[in-house]
Amino acid sequence: MIRLESSSVPTWAIAPEVGTLDQRGRTFSLVVIGDPGSRHLPAARAIAEAWTAQLAARPAGAVVHRELPAEAAVAVLTADLHRALVGHRILLTGTARDCLAVRAAVLAAGAEDDEVVIGVVDATERTVWCVHCAATTVTTAALEGETSCSGCSRRLVVHPHVSRRTGHHLGYMADAEEQPWSWPEPRA
Amino acid sequence: MTALSLPTSTAADLLEGFPFPFSHDSYRYSTNVEPARSPVATPVGQWGASVVTVDSEYHRELAERAVLLERDPSRYGVLPHMEVACWDAMLVLLRELASARPDAFHLDVVDAEGPTYRWRNDLLGIEQTFVVGRRETLPAEPLAWACQQVQEDVVLLDQRSGELYGDAGVVTFAADWSFGFDLGMTFLEIHGPVPRVHAEGVIPRAREFILRLQPGQVYRRTNWTLTVGRRLDVATETYPEWGPDRAMVLHVDDDAFGHLVHLRVEVQHLLRLPESGAVMFLIRTHLLPLADIARVPAWRERTAAVLTELPQDMADYKGIAAYRSRAAAWLRDCTSTTTPAPASPSALAPEESR
Amino acid sequence: MAGTTGMSGSVRERLRLVVVALDDSVPGIRSLVLADAGGAPLPPFTPGSHVVLEVPAGPPGSARPRPTANAYSLTGENAHPLDYRISVLRAREGGGSAWVHDLAVGDRVTALGPRSGFAPVQRAAKHLLLGAGIGVTPLVSHLRSAVRWGRDAELVHLHRSGAGAHAADLAELAARGARVTTVTDRESFTALLDDLLRTQPFGTHLYCCGPAGFMELVTAAAARSGWPASRVHTESFGVEALDPGAPFQVAVAGRTVEVPAGTSLLEALEDAGLAVPNLCRQGVCGECRVSVTVPEGGRLVHRDLYLDDDEKRAGRCAMACVSRALPTSGAAADLEVHL
Ligand code: HEM
Ligand code: FES
Repeated sequence: MIRLESSSVPTWAIAPEVGTLDQRGRTFSLVVIGDPGSRHLPAARAIAEAWTAQLAARPAGAVVHRELPAEAAVAVLTADLHRALVGHRILLTGTARDCLAVRAAVLAAGAEDDEVVIGVVDATERTVWCVHCAATTVTTAALEGETSCSGCSRRLVVHPHVSRRTGHHLGYMADAEEQPWSWPEPRA
Repeated sequence: MTALSLPTSTAADLLEGFPFPFSHDSYRYSTNVEPARSPVATPVGQWGASVVTVDSEYHRELAERAVLLERDPSRYGVLPHMEVACWDAMLVLLRELASARPDAFHLDVVDAEGPTYRWRNDLLGIEQTFVVGRRETLPAEPLAWACQQVQEDVVLLDQRSGELYGDAGVVTFAADWSFGFDLGMTFLEIHGPVPRVHAEGVIPRAREFILRLQPGQVYRRTNWTLTVGRRLDVATETYPEWGPDRAMVLHVDDDAFGHLVHLRVEVQHLLRLPESGAVMFLIRTHLLPLADIARVPAWRERTAAVLTELPQDMADYKGIAAYRSRAAAWLRDCTSTTTPAPASPSALAPEESR
Repeated sequence: MAGTTGMSGSVRERLRLVVVALDDSVPGIRSLVLADAGGAPLPPFTPGSHVVLEVPAGPPGSARPRPTANAYSLTGENAHPLDYRISVLRAREGGGSAWVHDLAVGDRVTALGPRSGFAPVQRAAKHLLLGAGIGVTPLVSHLRSAVRWGRDAELVHLHRSGAGAHAADLAELAARGARVTTVTDRESFTALLDDLLRTQPFGTHLYCCGPAGFMELVTAAAARSGWPASRVHTESFGVEALDPGAPFQVAVAGRTVEVPAGTSLLEALEDAGLAVPNLCRQGVCGECRVSVTVPEGGRLVHRDLYLDDDEKRAGRCAMACVSRALPTSGAAADLEVHL
């Protein structure tokens, strides 16, 4: 049995949680992540507003506030970090699944863990990466629950193991040991 | 799905050099690191004199690695900032090969500028002159090229902000984990799935230890499990291929069981690379069928005791819960015709091992 | 830069070196070239590393009554070193640096190391190196490695007017493309600092070495300018090395065993023919645990990573490879060990 608190799954991807803003940052990219019309947007906007209120004393232009779907957020933040100076922080709010995906891109663009703050509004949905066929599947299955792979249709265990590089959960075949087997070949 | 074939008899050097992992009749996880490069005597031989080990499986295992990499390129991965560490790792691996087997491998500095080296690998017929840092002087990327010449799997850990990240490697013989998925994770994240070790402090202590490892120091540890068949590739990626064998092995007769079930031992080395400051983690996998374990009475008894006593959560994690009792019983009862006569060192004719 | 530090738990990895050249051209600073006494190549090291020189005790009544160990940054070639280069500021009369300043070509010295605790971060987009005075020494090897591997690096050296330490090395690296700025008064440096720290491309890492006041100035300015802790690195000697400790005596198996400074309890017991199971010899594996009794007024210094806080407080066991007793006046032995 995996102890979740010492697993690779961030606590905020297990249950919603809002990180503490690092007031020392000088400039900020704040992104509310979500597709237009997503039912999680209002909660994410509320977190974003609380953050902007904390940063209200900053000079104009220090906080760039946007609302974007995950893919667009990745593109925009990658461009931000190309131009940014040390002292910049990234503030992300949205579902755990979106935050994991966008955080992965931000880390790949050179950010360190202490430059990214995450505010999660919902942690029921995850992206599972099939270790056998490399397809990804979006699911609401619980950790250690099962889902069906969108690529190879295998039943996958949602392993409580998360990659910071991709933001995916590892999925592996649930019933490999119940499959038909063949007798070993006789010795040559 | 490819069916396993029953292995033929084990080459003598694989038995003589087998790193039998158990020092007690029970096994628990611990931060079992010790200084490397000191030989460990066993009832039939020894292991551990060198950091890399070349044995009679050299050609076969390297050919298998090439096939696996061809089929699944994600077994090799290098994050962009690991370039220097890869050069570092390559040089250390070549140097260790040359020191382990001076008859077969030669590394010479031909020009201190660069510096420029000449490398000769007589086992594979390789001769190469290269300049450190100059990719065009090698036929492949440095880590990939080195791993075409060592039987070890390699993970390189970057150290930054007091944390270790598994940011590069070549791992073709993983024991039920996915290198491609774990690439980029911290040391603690990598070990997330292992039971007990966090609460018992084994992994946090290991982390502290590795963070402080200095260039020039080399440590080693062993880890073990059971594998059905002489199968090096039991990565999670190929679980659908090898998973069913765990059920199959319950149905074969005793003779086949003893030849199919292998004690799988990983000798793992840890060392700090001097130029990049990265940590190199080497995993060398040894497989010995129970039939051969049984040829050494001390090994037979101890393995049976460990398998019997192993707590359920550890057996579950290792994926051996279904057949460890049969393995223990097989070892205890195998005094009949199924077992070759107990071996003495002189009885083991040195085949073309070294 | 120099700092007093200790030796690791083990005394069995020492380098025997000989002084092959000296340079006293910068006032108060001596640069030394050390080679292996037997002519062998020396172990490669990570940029930013130091060696620990063993400094013998001075004559009785001197400022150096006991042997000590001083750490000095390595400034020369790191990947294929034929020699080790260090630079030492003369600090105070009778101390370790005075001893170094009295060395002559041909003298033998014993060193432990090299040890790394201030390495360049491979993932950095750029390396900003700020050094003051003799604190430039670890940054010289950073810059050399950056030039070799084509990494973006910029060095600012603050020193008193006149020749700075390693000016020639820095000029040579600048000629090969490194950015080097020299500042000779603190006001100009302070004026430059905020601007420097507020214009670094995202992904830059900052390395700082110099006197304590300088490091405080830089780290405070970095924090003010929004630098996260993960990007700020200061030279800290000896964090990973264990102090050699004071000699102490143990009562064991009906005899008394002396544990000298720099020798572990485990080594002393082994030398006395008493076997203790062990693996890591670093205080992590738990194998060398021994039961002990601390005499009245005595004190046990655990130093291991294995025992938990409760066990440490109870003081009934110790890890022989790293734990020590403090010498206590009066008691026949400073520690009883039960094997
Ligand atoms: C002193 C150092 C280390 C200790 C004590 C240690 C300990 C362990 C233990 C006890 C396990 C469970 C093994 C089993 O029951 O079969 C394990 C698994 C593993 N270790 Fe380590 N380990 C160390 C170093 C490393 C390093 C440096 C890596 C580098 C990547 C690594 C990668 C792994 C992986 C990938 C697994 C499998 C985890 C999974 O199930 O996904 N270990 N380790
Ligand atoms: S030998 Fe490992 S703790 Fe002492």
